[in-house]
Amino acid sequence: MKLEGTSTLAAPIETVWKMINDPDALRRCTPGLKELKEIEPDRYEATLNVGIAAVKGTYKGTLTITDKQAPSHYKLVLEGSGGTGFMRGEGLVDLEPQGEATLLKWTGDMQIGGLIAGVGQRMLGGVGKMLIGQFFKCLEQHLGEDV
Amino acid sequence: MKPAAFVYHAPETVEEALGLLAAHGDQAKVLAGGQSLVPLMNMRLARPAVIVDINRIRTLDHLTPDGDALRVGALCRQRSAERAAIVATRCPLLHAALQLVGHVQIRNRGTVVGSLAHADPAAELTAVLAVLGGTVTAVGPDGTRTIPADEFFVSYLTTSLDPRELLTEARFPTLPEGVGWSWMEIARRHGDFALAGVGVVLAVRRGRITEARVGLTGVGPTPVRAARTERALAGRAPSDALWTEAADAVREEIDPEGDIHASAEYRRHVAGVLTRRALAEACTRTAEAA
Amino acid sequence: MAVREIALRINGRTHTGRAEPRKTLADFIREECGLTGTHLGCEHGVCGACTILMNGEAVRSCLMFAVQAEGAELMTVEGLADGAQLHPIQQAYWEHHALQCGFCTPGFLMTTLAFLRDTPRPSEREIRETLAGNLCRCTGYQNIVKAVAAAANTLASGAHPDAWPPFARPVEVSAPAARTRRASASGAPKRPAVKKTRAAGGTRRKGTRVRSRQAKRRRS
Repeated sequence: MKLEGTSTLAAPIETVWKMINDPDALRRCTPGLKELKEIEPDRYEATLNVGIAAVKGTYKGTLTITDKQAPSHYKLVLEGSGGTGFMRGEGLVDLEPQGEATLLKWTGDMQIGGLIAGVGQRMLGGVGKMLIGQFFKCLEQHLGEDV
Repeated sequence: MKPAAFVYHAPETVEEALGLLAAHGDQAKVLAGGQSLVPLMNMRLARPAVIVDINRIRTLDHLTPDGDALRVGALCRQRSAERAAIVATRCPLLHAALQLVGHVQIRNRGTVVGSLAHADPAAELTAVLAVLGGTVTAVGPDGTRTIPADEFFVSYLTTSLDPRELLTEARFPTLPEGVGWSWMEIARRHGDFALAGVGVVLAVRRGRITEARVGLTGVGPTPVRAARTERALAGRAPSDALWTEAADAVREEIDPEGDIHASAEYRRHVAGVLTRRALAEACTRTAEAA
Repeated sequence: MAVREIALRINGRTHTGRAEPRKTLADFIREECGLTGTHLGCEHGVCGACTILMNGEAVRSCLMFAVQAEGAELMTVEGLADGAQLHPIQQAYWEHHALQCGFCTPGFLMTTLAFLRDTPRPSEREIRETLAGNLCRCTGYQNIVKAVAAAANTLASGAHPDAWPPFARPVEVSAPAARTRRASASGAPKRPAVKKTRAAGGTRRKGTRVRSRQAKRRRS
């Protein structure tokens, strides 16, 4: 499932770059993230309890940041599995200065399998986009607090 | 395929139910018809620790005319509403949509209000409530409140209800004499969730549209009122060309998702087609057309 | 989670058993009551193999918990035939080759029973729409539709006045206290009141209670 979107963050590109690499920001903003433990630089063990309304599942896996080209590009890979299914998401994040602000463009390729995918097919794309949207909204708020 | 263990309560009064919800908060789920909740529980996609079964609260099983609306109690089965003469005569849009909700076996247990509380993005009844401008009544620790449809439906399977609140009824405004209506949806098999569905209300007087409402399901996280399209129809003269214009306007207004059942492009296209047909059908039902 | 006593009325008789609240009605009917005619196909409300009648209406027993069915009159496929005599609907299914493996058939039969009671002269479209909630992997449905149409004709002829026993008809659901009074006033069941109790770990004393209730009915 391919998803994409953009977000404008009210801060210069270096600040945004620092933030999206900061594990604390990731901890705070990743929807449903219960635990994020650094294994090595840019590689974390993650536990998420994520879903919508009554439909929630716990996923355990890893979050890896690769292909870093400071301060404008990286690849984020999140994969996890749990009782209700498994998921693997690969996201490319690109930052572009836009005056005083930064335009963040992301494209993602998400694979979801198992029970939740079989049953929840009709909502996966929408819910996925929503959760990713929540992530970036949280980053925007995070920025607003720091700046 | 068996549900996880839960503590089971079957209160006999609303007060008892509220006490349980207040005590357990988001650990509890209300069980009415169970046609949406129990599949999730059987597959362990939902694992509520506490079930508050409201099926013994007889006072919630009613269907009551109330001035220019029908009050549907939380335990009114979809099948009861479907078969009720008063729904067919006073609220034909609801009657038409009900016949397309799942299958008979589902409607025999499923409740109208339960469908609203579950808020499936492709449900019929949520869109009917939205297009009729209906409300739901929620009772909770802070008292009773009435929530209009556009504030109630928040996102996929998500409403603005607090976990300690219980929906006791929904209020569906009835259609005045001479107002046209239509419900159309498309699904791959009879009884499936709609790929897209449209409910239309149309009032025409002296050759001009005095009110047009277009509500859609299956094209977003919640039911969608095509407000821009509605405004574009107001004051215009009904015609086939106008319905085609409305179809294009709806296509501009919605932003559907694609999935394995149907692509976004298909849903967008079909939503337009259904809008055009529904407006045409609604027009034939107006008093002017007679 | 508390295991509890559950007593259900099925096909005119009382069956008791012990189960957790999370035990589905379908599982309870099959396991505690030994009525395995009701089948599990999907357990999430899509296939209809688990369809039974509850107070005369077709419902998916996999989507109910057994505790919820206390106080209701249930009917399963075992309640259709009269000994060796097939019900007219079963007869029609057989004659029209409307079953192959038979797995979906009990669900179809129960749906058909309620349907033809309420719609004695259905159109083909009505038949197809009503049966849409039951899935069949073998037959391709055509013969099922024919069988239902044929059964409708047979039943509409009036030659089968017993086609819908009391437990196949819509019943007003009553509160627990009222239920006891209503049960004793309902008169003798159609079939001989043979006590049938399947209680996993139950005691004889429950059987005695049932017997004496029936004895009271006979006396009154």
